[in-house]
Amino acid sequence: MQFAWALLAIIGFSLRSNLKGWRVLFTGLGGGICWAAYLIILFYSKSMLLSVFLAIIIVCIYSEVVARLMATPVSVFVMCVIIPLVPGRSLYYSMLFYINGSSGQASRYIFDTLMISGTIAMAIAIVASATSLFMRIRHRF
Amino acid sequence: MNKINLQECSKLALETGRIILQSGGATNRVELMMRKVCEGFGYDDCESFVTPTGIFFSLSDGEANITTRIKRIENRRIDLGKITQVSQLVNCLQSDKCHIMTHTQGRSKEFLKELRRIDGENPYPMWVTNLCGGATSGFFCLLFGGSWTEFLIAFIIGIIISASLKYISRLPVNNFLLNAIASALIVFLAKTIDTWVPNIRLDNIIIGGIMILVPGLALTNAIRDTMSGDLVSGTARGVEAIIVTIAIVAGSGTMLKLWTLLGY
Repeated sequence: MQFAWALLAIIGFSLRSNLKGWRVLFTGLGGGICWAAYLIILFYSKSMLLSVFLAIIIVCIYSEVVARLMATPVSVFVMCVIIPLVPGRSLYYSMLFYINGSSGQASRYIFDTLMISGTIAMAIAIVASATSLFMRIRHRF
Repeated sequence: MNKINLQECSKLALETGRIILQSGGATNRVELMMRKVCEGFGYDDCESFVTPTGIFFSLSDGEANITTRIKRIENRRIDLGKITQVSQLVNCLQSDKCHIMTHTQGRSKEFLKELRRIDGENPYPMWVTNLCGGATSGFFCLLFGGSWTEFLIAFIIGIIISASLKYISRLPVNNFLLNAIASALIVFLAKTIDTWVPNIRLDNIIIGGIMILVPGLALTNAIRDTMSGDLVSGTARGVEAIIVTIAIVAGSGTMLKLWTLLGY
């Protein structure tokens, strides 16, 4: 169920940014995988940051592979598939608590937001560097 | 192989770079594409320096002649379709087996014509993109645990927000104000609907609306730019992401506070 909703949401998002044809379906699938991986790993590990990290790594590898198959820039895919994990939710709650005057909880959510964005950034960076290294090695031999 | 004019080649390369950068491509991608265009037209010696707000580009024919151009990039928006199409066009220029590049005489003309077509193209009519904005926000609402009523409301709000983003961006407002106004509008609409429809949780609806605005693109580009060594544009894009986030928070926060002050 959750998988389907993430899929549809990402399809909507990628249509909105003028993507065409089969690519829309693949970005949607990537978004679905992203959310599903996040939920599954969260269920087993009980650690939010770890599951965000692993889920982003999985979908980044997915998008590197699919983008090469479809002859599309990789960043097009990466941009779309990470959207479900971008911390819009904790951003909203930190703002809400701050307005209601409970700074303690607000700063906890701000901290969450920063940590999640940092984790996403690190995961993307790792996969991007690893891929370029891999391609270079394969090119050499 | 009859070479084209130096000026003409630099114009083509710059046009390619402009389209990719304006649609939100990473800067090292822009540099790569411009180099490929120059190589495709027979000039190997080119240097470019790309930042998110401008392109500096210099092309030499290996002898005394050098031409340099600077292009200022102003309005930028997300358009992944254009990036894909331009990349395909450039790659097919390199591989020499593309259908439009069969006759060498009019190659540059054909290339320019194709670029213009991609630039002016609008693959979906406005109502489709608005509907998709609505779908995005609605399904995110469901994803974060909303009910079907909330889905419907988030859907409607998403449509209104997508439509109004287009109209607001025609006014001479900057990016900060645009996002602040849009997020304020989300909260305003959600609160207004809340007074009529009982038993809904506002949180999910507002989060669904905010997800349309959240700068995932700027974040991704910032990281990719920094990792590929373009520190200037990486920093610039990172700051852009932070500014947009602050704008979203400021807009929705102001509206929520105003609403509380009015006594609901």
